[in-house]
Amino acid sequence: MRANPYWNALLVAFLVMVSVPFVVPIAWMFLSSLKSGAEIFSSPFQLDFAKLSLDNFREIFARYPFVRQYLNSLYILAIVIPLTALLSALAGYAFARLRFWGREALFILTLGAMMIPNELTAVPQFILFKNLGAINTHLPVILLQVFSATGALAVFLMRQHFITLPKELEEAGRIDGLSYWGVFWHIMLPLSRPALVTVAIFAMLNSWNDYFNPLIYLNSEAKLTLPLALQRFTDPLGGVFWNLTLAGGTLVAIPVLLLFWLAQRQFVESLANSGTKG
Amino acid sequence: MLRRQEQLTGLFFTLPYALGMLVLVILPLLAVWVISGTSWSLLDEPRWIGLKNYQRLLQDPDFYHSLRVTTLFTVGILVLNISSALGLAVLLNQKLRGIGIFRTIIFSPVVMPVVAWALVWKFLLQPEGPINQILASAGVQGPNWLFEPSLALWLLIVIEVIKAVGLNTVIFLSALQGVPKEMHEAAMLDGTAAVQAFFRITLPLISPTVFLVFIVTLIGALKLFTPVFVLTGGGPAGATTTLILFMYKQGFSFFEFGYASAVAVVLFVVVLGLTVLQWNLRRRLVFYES
Repeated sequence: MRANPYWNALLVAFLVMVSVPFVVPIAWMFLSSLKSGAEIFSSPFQLDFAKLSLDNFREIFARYPFVRQYLNSLYILAIVIPLTALLSALAGYAFARLRFWGREALFILTLGAMMIPNELTAVPQFILFKNLGAINTHLPVILLQVFSATGALAVFLMRQHFITLPKELEEAGRIDGLSYWGVFWHIMLPLSRPALVTVAIFAMLNSWNDYFNPLIYLNSEAKLTLPLALQRFTDPLGGVFWNLTLAGGTLVAIPVLLLFWLAQRQFVESLANSGTKG
Repeated sequence: MLRRQEQLTGLFFTLPYALGMLVLVILPLLAVWVISGTSWSLLDEPRWIGLKNYQRLLQDPDFYHSLRVTTLFTVGILVLNISSALGLAVLLNQKLRGIGIFRTIIFSPVVMPVVAWALVWKFLLQPEGPINQILASAGVQGPNWLFEPSLALWLLIVIEVIKAVGLNTVIFLSALQGVPKEMHEAAMLDGTAAVQAFFRITLPLISPTVFLVFIVTLIGALKLFTPVFVLTGGGPAGATTTLILFMYKQGFSFFEFGYASAVAVVLFVVVLGLTVLQWNLRRRLVFYES
């Protein structure tokens, strides 16, 4: 539009209004995590700096196995992210560049797997893992993340990415005597950082947020991951300790928000390049 | 020799992923169909009962109810999410100092953990919670939001759209930035109004993106579980029990694996049908430049 100061002022005013439901709940959670249980009810929108404290966080760590649950979520991430990245890069590269028997069929299955909600196959998966004796272990939670619709999406994103890289690079590598693996590992993978960051972010968000699988497979407090752990700050009658819940929510949200802001540019760029251009 | 090597490498590179997909996605998908023909609970052996589970579904008022809830929920999310994402993308595409701050704000809920987001809203919407306190200070008696059957479903839709709309907005934004400026300027010189230019020029140009976003959002809405489970648990009085929640309850609360699998099959057929339908519609509605 033309640069009209009135129009701009109107636009800014409108955007500020629209921003409220997006930013207020998050900011409010952060601030409330510093208040006592009574205070978040009695004065939800006031900030008394003298009364702010870290007591909620101290209590979470002292009274609940929250550290353990936090570590569970973290170590699952530490397996899910590199595994998803490596498997999807390998498969994506093969789909993009190598001609082999079964490629078309496998790729169509991958596209199909992207469309199938994971939840639909929960019953047979549960029976499978039950027979393997893997109930209340992290194995199903990890495997179902890596090979879920997210995994298929990761393969698709990596394929789209590898298609855009110039073929000459590979040919040069081949002439220099590198094997297919060498070309992949030493030439193609280092050029794939933006795509790998996108895949890693999707894998991270999905694993960090996974509620459905832990709900089905995990039943002991010490095995729980964060999404379920956040709902355990209750008294014996089921009343929620909201101050602890909001503090826990803050602890769960901060690393994701931080990491995202660090990787934002690469993520948005790669999304713009791979997601929308068919 | 080289071809053979390429063949082997291709298989070797795809093997780990393909094997996992086969065991954890494809075979379970086939198994769901088989299990849906059995009566199977946690302790019993499976017993073949043919189409009985489907007959039971057809007579189960709760199933019809969850079908209706899922339809409302999905349509509500689709319409609200895509129209707001388009509107926000157009607004955020303006040349304005500090527009990046607004882009970040709209996107932040996308990276908020789902449960944390749901729990915050659960607190805000409590009978004595902050939102009702604001209303009370304006002299209005606020409702018990999440326990009001007529309100709960719409609240879930709005809360989910605020959470998720940022992703679609960013995708639309990147598509809008690919629209050549000259086309708009030509339209302006012709005296075509901006609104008309948007519907006649911009929208057709970004229609492949709109189509993609449409499919992803639709499937996402059909399978949405966590916020519903956390915020209402399917209540009040079943008002927010979607198909996925209905399936979860049958399968993992009542351990009726056969019956739950029949629900999964129905949902699978719905997803498949919609995908095929969209694929065919795409040819008529989506405009490709080349």
